[in-house]
Amino acid sequence: MNYTLALPELFLAASGMAMLIYGAFRRGNPTREVGWGVIAVLVVALFITGSQTPGNGALFGGMFIVDGFAVFLKILILAASALAVLMSQSYIEREQMARYEFPLLLLFATLGMLMMVSANDLISLYIGLELQSLALYVVAAFRRDSARSTEAGLKYFVLGALSSGMLLYGSSLIYGFAGTTQFAGIAASLTAESASIGLLVGMVFLVAGLAFKISAVPFHMWTPDVYEGAPTPVTAFLAAAPKLAAIGLFARVLVGPFGDLVAEWRQIVLVISIASMVLGAYAAINQTNIKRLMAYSSIGSVGYALVGLAAGTEEGLRGMLVYMMIYIVINIGTFACILCMRVKGRMVEGIEDLAGLSRTQPLLAAALAVFMFSLAGIPPLAGFFGKLYVFLAAINAQLYVLAVIGVLASVVAAFYYVRIVKVMYFDEPGDAFDRPIGWEMAAIVGVTALAALLFFVLPEPFIGEAAAAAAALFAG
Amino acid sequence: MSGAVGLEHYLAVAAILFAVGIFGIFLNRKNVIIILMSIELMLLAVNINLVAFSAHLGDLVGQVFAMFVLTVAAAEAAVGLAILVVYFRNRGTIEVEDINLMKG
Amino acid sequence: MDAVIVFLPLAAALIAGLFGRQIGDRGAQVVTCGAMLLAAALSVAVFADVALGGNTRTTELFTWIDSGTFEAAWSLRVDQLTAVMLLTVNVVSAMIHVYSVGYMSHDKSIPRFMAYLSLFTFFMLTLVTADNFMQLFFGWEGVGVCSYLLIGFWYDRPAANAAAIKAFIVNRVGDFGFALGIMGVFLAAGSVDFDTVFAAAPGLAETSVPFLGLTLPTLELLCLLLFIGAMGKSAQLGLHTWLPDAMEGPTPVSALIHAATMVTAGVFMVARLSPMFEYAPTALGVVAVVGALTAFFAGTVALCQNDIKRVIAYSTCSQLGYMFFAAGVSAYGAAIFHLFTHAFFKALLFLASGSVIHALAGEQDMRKMGGLWRKIWLTYALMWIGSLALAGIGLPGVFGFAGFYSKDIVLEAAYAAGTATGDFAFWVGIGAAVMTGFYSWRLIFMTFHGKSRADKHTMEHVHESPPVMMAPLIVLALGALVAGFIGYPYFVGDEMSAFWGASIFVLEGHASIEAAHHAPHWVAFLALGVGLFGIAVAALFYLATPSLPGRLAGALRGPYLFLLNKWYVDELYDFLFVRTARRLGYNLWKTGDGVIIDGIGPDGIAAHTIELARRAGRLQSGYVYHYAFAMLIGVVALVSWYLIGRL
Repeated sequence: MNYTLALPELFLAASGMAMLIYGAFRRGNPTREVGWGVIAVLVVALFITGSQTPGNGALFGGMFIVDGFAVFLKILILAASALAVLMSQSYIEREQMARYEFPLLLLFATLGMLMMVSANDLISLYIGLELQSLALYVVAAFRRDSARSTEAGLKYFVLGALSSGMLLYGSSLIYGFAGTTQFAGIAASLTAESASIGLLVGMVFLVAGLAFKISAVPFHMWTPDVYEGAPTPVTAFLAAAPKLAAIGLFARVLVGPFGDLVAEWRQIVLVISIASMVLGAYAAINQTNIKRLMAYSSIGSVGYALVGLAAGTEEGLRGMLVYMMIYIVINIGTFACILCMRVKGRMVEGIEDLAGLSRTQPLLAAALAVFMFSLAGIPPLAGFFGKLYVFLAAINAQLYVLAVIGVLASVVAAFYYVRIVKVMYFDEPGDAFDRPIGWEMAAIVGVTALAALLFFVLPEPFIGEAAAAAAALFAG
Repeated sequence: MSGAVGLEHYLAVAAILFAVGIFGIFLNRKNVIIILMSIELMLLAVNINLVAFSAHLGDLVGQVFAMFVLTVAAAEAAVGLAILVVYFRNRGTIEVEDINLMKG
Repeated sequence: MDAVIVFLPLAAALIAGLFGRQIGDRGAQVVTCGAMLLAAALSVAVFADVALGGNTRTTELFTWIDSGTFEAAWSLRVDQLTAVMLLTVNVVSAMIHVYSVGYMSHDKSIPRFMAYLSLFTFFMLTLVTADNFMQLFFGWEGVGVCSYLLIGFWYDRPAANAAAIKAFIVNRVGDFGFALGIMGVFLAAGSVDFDTVFAAAPGLAETSVPFLGLTLPTLELLCLLLFIGAMGKSAQLGLHTWLPDAMEGPTPVSALIHAATMVTAGVFMVARLSPMFEYAPTALGVVAVVGALTAFFAGTVALCQNDIKRVIAYSTCSQLGYMFFAAGVSAYGAAIFHLFTHAFFKALLFLASGSVIHALAGEQDMRKMGGLWRKIWLTYALMWIGSLALAGIGLPGVFGFAGFYSKDIVLEAAYAAGTATGDFAFWVGIGAAVMTGFYSWRLIFMTFHGKSRADKHTMEHVHESPPVMMAPLIVLALGALVAGFIGYPYFVGDEMSAFWGASIFVLEGHASIEAAHHAPHWVAFLALGVGLFGIAVAALFYLATPSLPGRLAGALRGPYLFLLNKWYVDELYDFLFVRTARRLGYNLWKTGDGVIIDGIGPDGIAAHTIELARRAGRLQSGYVYHYAFAMLIGVVALVSWYLIGRL
């Protein structure tokens, strides 16, 4: 067995536990050191993952697989997590939640995500998922003195546990009717004609459980409340890396073990994709809290990503990966901007608090405008290409209705994205935000904004990577 | 064999337990603790399923899976209770109806 | 050189228009005036080369449109007709550019004005140098746009905006016919090139097209459609209503666009298309009758107007009628000759009236003028020259003012054409000539003679205009003096056929100008005599017994009001078209657009969106059990979907 394939995970787990011990025995507050340590560990893991030759390799009795698809997602997840930890640093110190467990919990959540995208067995799927979820429940409620934060954690936990139950129930049915928990075995046990009803029901429950993690309608209800209530860096984290891991797992499960049932699961994906796009577009319109708005935005975004998956083709999967890649870049940038929304030492979250930002902080306003236009899918910004590739795939797969609904939904969604730009540029300025915003924030906002702005200059390598990852999943 | 307990019976029991668990989550408007119990019930239903299948298939993986589920369920219960405790400290109540600060 | 003439004004317009802020008022004036003076000088050279030297040419600049069988090049066709027009347009335009420097000196957007003027000149030049219908249409619409921009130049005056819109809309009616004509030409001849179409014209005269159940001769139909365009642009009876209102624009604009150049585009077009019109006798007849009626109608209206510029505007309308009926009797040379002389004296009259208005600080009502001749004697003298030229006064065989020659030949040609329409045009034209004499001198007497009716303050400030305004007037006056005398032999006299060459085509039997030379002497004397008679009546009315007009107006109240209100044409149109259109538009707006389209479309969708957004928000109740229920519903729905699918 070639354990080097699991090196990133092993490294994360070992250093995570080491830092846990270090934090427990260190006198004083080791949060900052642990935080930097976590960032360093994530970056090292990122490089290890990057250096892995993406050949198919399975470990632990076939429970753990490393292929191009997994490597692609892991790189993105590690990068997103590292940035999220970086963003949280000064926030947790300011907001009296500087406990060293915080970065470590994010680290363990990341570990769970890595296991999710490498899962090749229902058991490893469940373990990875729970590792990620349990850590996230805790960080969502990490502001112990805030009613909203703890309520967010509680809601997230209750509904997450329910979804885990559904997922498990589905898994048990699949195990029973396929006779194995291995993905490859499940795939072998079924053909398009002979899927037993028990297996189908199991698949529905499994999909429902996973749909919860990607917050697709109708399993999205937790998203707005948790995004709003959780501390902002946690929301930023939730919106990026776990989404990637969950959608990667979603794709792997549907394309891998249930690849032959594409005609069956496409119907589910179609329905939840349309529902997510439409709900994401409409429900966001009346929002006044920008974090809540971003929650609906992320629900809509998942809908768009699922358009690519619904196509059920390699091209569709490539579109989905490109979309998610661009989506997390924009989302990290947006949340970095939101983290800069501080007036007289207090965090503010209202959209109207952004009024006149273009006059008080022109650069920040410009960056946020780039993100909003990008989310709205205005060419030539990156978000446009994300949508372009999924819709292209849908059209090539003859899912015209889906593509049309998607485009219409993005028209509606453009309303609230552009409204934010309007508020920033045309409304009378209120209280100016505190300065300075810190070099980490400035760097993250600047780099992500430039990436969103200039993606069209050199899209080829990224799209090529996504295509290779998609091909790897279909080959495996 | 009409009196023997077969796979179907186990599955039926598990399904009923699972349904009871789910209904416990959204019919109960009083106490969050009941929700935690309902979650446990669901997980146990799954375990019955897994073990029954395992026995039926003559395959140990199902029982291994069940062990994992038990372990994780314990961790989950711990996390859940911990969150419930901090929530109670903030609000002084654990009524399900009161968990309603955020909506819209 | 041809291209330079055409594109110099464009370059000047772009510079003045786009960089007006950088180069300043003075810079814009220098650039545009310089370009126009240079273009005018070059046009004189071209005129000598082409018209006198017979050196016609067509320069193709580039292919403009090449789509399927439709091809249109951008080429400059410079023949004698074009050379005359180049000379007229550029000289008058250059003079008016210079005049504007003085007249507009107090305006706040001088660069814009100069840029519009130059841009207009560019479009007019592309119109007259057109080698195909597309290019003609381009110039045609371009001058229309500039006319609109210049009438509405003082955009803060509601009246100016209304006039600009009116001009634009009335011209649309004409342009609609014109565009239909061009499409028809392409359909019938398969090309929009003048040469190709002209070659096909005799053949087309033989064919006919079915239209609304009627069988219409092709060429007649095409010519009539094109003439509708000319009627719009040249303000002929029916589509004339915009021209008097266009006087809301600054006076130089009235002089350049609404007297000397743009409004003559219709006449030019008929002359340019003479190879087509010659084979369409009915259309020619219509041209002659419409022209004659316009000449008469506009003359009657001019009798009673009190606004100095409106009098001249109706006089323009009337003179355009002369040009058209000359063209209608195949005397194209005479029409262009009258166009040429008219450009000078009408521009002169307008600019002189502008000088009067300038002197009176913006007053345009003649009832508030009078007794000005001592104070602004130079303007007074120039006004006399212009009026003498307009009324066509001269000493036969010795010398005459410009109009004397051109109007004479127009009337003689109409008489000599020997057709019913020609006779009609002749007698109506004689009638119009009486009125020309009358209203011209009515204007002079009311403005310059008698007791002053202006208030004291204004009278004290009456002053002669600055030299920069008077110099162009003198140049134009020179033109009004000698243009007829010098031009006569070339345009319509002995050198005529050599002068026009192939640019104007007249059928063998239509040689009305030759015939005009042999018209009886009384015709010429009659034309002169009626003009003098009109002047005499004016003198009687406004010099000898100033109370007479008032008494007459009182006695003949009905006819007076009829004329004062311009035959109620505006009111008729208002009733027939404007109100109907408004009512229709209002209904379409309120029910068609407001209720149906907006209701279902934008507004409906927006309202729906808000409603849906509200409902989506309400869905998110905040209760965990609702959320869990939603998830359960989702799973149950999906499972049932598959179960039902299986059963």
